[in-house]
Amino acid sequence: MDGVKKWFPIKTGMLSSSKSFVRAVDGVNLSVKKGETLGIVGESGCGKTTLGRVLLGLIPITEGSIKYNGVDIRDMKNRDVRKKMQIVFQDPGGSMNPRMSVRSIVGEPLIVNGMSDGAELTKIVAELLDSVGLNRKHMTRFPHEFSGGQKQRIAVARALALNPEFILLDEPTSALDVSVQAQVLNLLEEIQTEKDLTFVFITHSLNVVHHISDRVAVMYLGKIVELADTVDLFESPSHPYTHALLSAIPEISVEDKKERIVLSGDVPSPANPPSGCRFHTRCPIAKEGVCDTDKPEFRELSEGHFVSCHFPVEAGKSLSIFDE
Amino acid sequence: MSGDVILDIKDLRVHFDTLYGPIEALHDIDLQVMRGEIRGVVGESGCGKSVTSLTAIGLATCKVDDGQILYDGYDTVYRIKDWEKNLIRISTAISYIGALIIVFNILRIIFDTSAVYDIIAGAGIMLFGSLVGLIGSFSSYKHEKELRRIRGNEISMIFQEPMTALNPLYTVEKQISEVMKEHGRLVEREAPTPSRILRAVLKPATQLADSITKNPLATLTPIGVLIMYFTVTSLGYSGLFEKLSWYFIPVIVSAFTTSAIYEKEKVNWLISLTKSIPYLIISILYFIYSSIYKYTLGLLNVNNPLKSIEEGVEEINNISLEGLSSLPLAFAFALTLFMMFWMPASAVMVILVTIAVFMIPGIMISDVLKLDPSHSRQVVQILEEVQIPNPETVSRMYPHELSGGMRQRVMIAMMMSCEPNLLIADEPTTALDVTIQAQILKLMRDMRDQKGTSIMLITHDLGVIAEMCDTVSVMYAGTIVESGSLKDVLERPRMPYSIGLLHSIPRIITEAEGGRKESLPIIPGQVPDPNEHFDGCRFHPRCPFADEICVSTKPEMIEVNPSHFAACHHVDKTTNVSQVEDAFENLVARMTEGI
Repeated sequence: MDGVKKWFPIKTGMLSSSKSFVRAVDGVNLSVKKGETLGIVGESGCGKTTLGRVLLGLIPITEGSIKYNGVDIRDMKNRDVRKKMQIVFQDPGGSMNPRMSVRSIVGEPLIVNGMSDGAELTKIVAELLDSVGLNRKHMTRFPHEFSGGQKQRIAVARALALNPEFILLDEPTSALDVSVQAQVLNLLEEIQTEKDLTFVFITHSLNVVHHISDRVAVMYLGKIVELADTVDLFESPSHPYTHALLSAIPEISVEDKKERIVLSGDVPSPANPPSGCRFHTRCPIAKEGVCDTDKPEFRELSEGHFVSCHFPVEAGKSLSIFDE
Repeated sequence: MSGDVILDIKDLRVHFDTLYGPIEALHDIDLQVMRGEIRGVVGESGCGKSVTSLTAIGLATCKVDDGQILYDGYDTVYRIKDWEKNLIRISTAISYIGALIIVFNILRIIFDTSAVYDIIAGAGIMLFGSLVGLIGSFSSYKHEKELRRIRGNEISMIFQEPMTALNPLYTVEKQISEVMKEHGRLVEREAPTPSRILRAVLKPATQLADSITKNPLATLTPIGVLIMYFTVTSLGYSGLFEKLSWYFIPVIVSAFTTSAIYEKEKVNWLISLTKSIPYLIISILYFIYSSIYKYTLGLLNVNNPLKSIEEGVEEINNISLEGLSSLPLAFAFALTLFMMFWMPASAVMVILVTIAVFMIPGIMISDVLKLDPSHSRQVVQILEEVQIPNPETVSRMYPHELSGGMRQRVMIAMMMSCEPNLLIADEPTTALDVTIQAQILKLMRDMRDQKGTSIMLITHDLGVIAEMCDTVSVMYAGTIVESGSLKDVLERPRMPYSIGLLHSIPRIITEAEGGRKESLPIIPGQVPDPNEHFDGCRFHPRCPFADEICVSTKPEMIEVNPSHFAACHHVDKTTNVSQVEDAFENLVARMTEGI
């Protein structure tokens, strides 16, 4: 530990299409500390993936800045960014060229960056495959010969090839079965402790986020509505949306069937977000005159627990008004 | 919850024929769904969950080798009888013979015209053959007809991806009413056909009237221009003043009708007057243009020394009446039209009105004939039942205009419209977000509670199972490995696979309950290839308790508790869950060393 914190103050706004703006990510402030796993959860279409891509500089930002180790990533060379920051995509099959062997898939980043070639490359790829729990013999095979879980392992190996410090995991387990998901999650944790990596874990599955993250950010319609330590967030959520999300997780227990908050309606369109608090159209405790007109500030409730709501639910209390 | 079995699957074995030989998808499935219960079927992808459900309603493309699927005592699997099979074979042979006779005699006809009779005879033999074939396939046809009645009417299905299950070309209303029509659930028509045709014809007229009241200038101007054009061309023109007045009439008419309608709003009156100015300008321009044209021609003629002035003037008048009439007028008319379209506010309306007048009637007639008002009310009522906000609007929307949750609700509405006894839901919430998932699940549970529909819920999400089901069956690689009540399976699982599956799910455990674990317990290895042949238990390569007997003998379903079955040779070893977990961990360690 050298005491250096990596942090990414992000303030992006209005990822624009030509005329109307789809505010996929609209004013997000976030910092990621070195060595931690930050989970980002939210429903589909809330801008999780866009945020991730913006983080890596894959999509240009409309407004705001992203700093990596204090340097704006727009000022860094693209290659340097990629060497330090890598990504694992949701669909492992789709992110691989079906005509490339595993050796060239995993070794591609090394070749592109001119870091190794030939026999040395083979050696490095073999080590990488070992580290993700695959056999060295698999090197000559092609992606279609692998199952989903194995493909995701290859994708992880590829992300690791350049020895990055930061990996963005964009729904790495969504396409996998439960038992395979468990295998991949364990692998990710092992690698993280082994190589001292920083993860940003994007997912829609709260169980997974709870398992793997140190801190969790909950997104709704392009904004972060709550950010807290995992334990803090799951034990005392403050934002009504987080409450609803948590209560909507089907729990695998027979006895204590909890009362759930069934939100009415769908997520509004990000091209035309509601005024005021973006959640007020579906919020069970929204107050007229406040929530539909004023934008709530993103404020710190307690140490490290940020929330963006006018009427945050107090710790330990449950949301008592149910939307039936 | 109690009582009789509605769907009973017994010893079902099916295979798919592929290029590389048959693939056995299901090995020995036993599954019962009771009346009014929610039966969960859980398993990983490729374990045969969907195949089971599709076979149950006779939609699967696989071949059933063995077993029965009884819906309310009716076997939905049709097995062709031997005599029918033989009869069909014989009929094919007869038809072939007939065909050969025909072909042969067509060749012979060149030499012998009497071969025509032989051709007719051949055709007769072919006909006879196909008739014989009909007898052979009669009962399978009857079975298919019966299945069609059961499907939708008594067993309904919800598919995973609502977008692919809905037709993107038709409105929600049409699709739901089609299902109802097919199953005879529509009420009697309210309006008889002639009156609906009349309504269809009148609809564009009323629409035109609507648009006149809404935007009179834009609607009346083209009409005015049309009137102007026809009058001017038919009457011809005698003098300049008359000529010009024809141009002013439509402008004045449209301006004044507008002002009459917008009497209360003086501003609009002014606006409509200013909007008439371009027409005025055009008229003046045309007047100047035609005058210049005429006098130039006149001068040309005057300068012609061969003709007298009187003759020249006469000729000019002739020209102005015939030669001049078409070109400048057409020019002015085009310009007028251009100005009219060029004015942005009215341009869209003009186009719309043109379409309304000339094209819509045909479309309207077919559209109105489609749905009787009473039927559309019925559809709206069903949409209301599934809690779709403003159902009247939604019923006229196309699937792509709806969100995922709404689409799934439309699917449920479609299925509910026939009030089935059994609902097969194949991963109904997999494509949806958690908050939407909660809505859909609630809807399905309400339906069971209110109408007593039995549900067979297929999913890979144990959370959904825990939320919804009364009884659960766990599937693994084409077999059912454990089944029992929800409580039994989730709290006291006995088959090692179910235990491993349950524990590999990341759970939200509060600090008070010991906090989260460092690593997840996993099942080592992978799901076997469906082509792989197993004499014994299909789970044995991944099982911590596997021994010789597991490799050689297939485990029977053992009743470990009343109505709780597990297919395992070592159920005595699995009573303590934590022991099984330890065993799994040891196995994982052993297997990683092995690599």
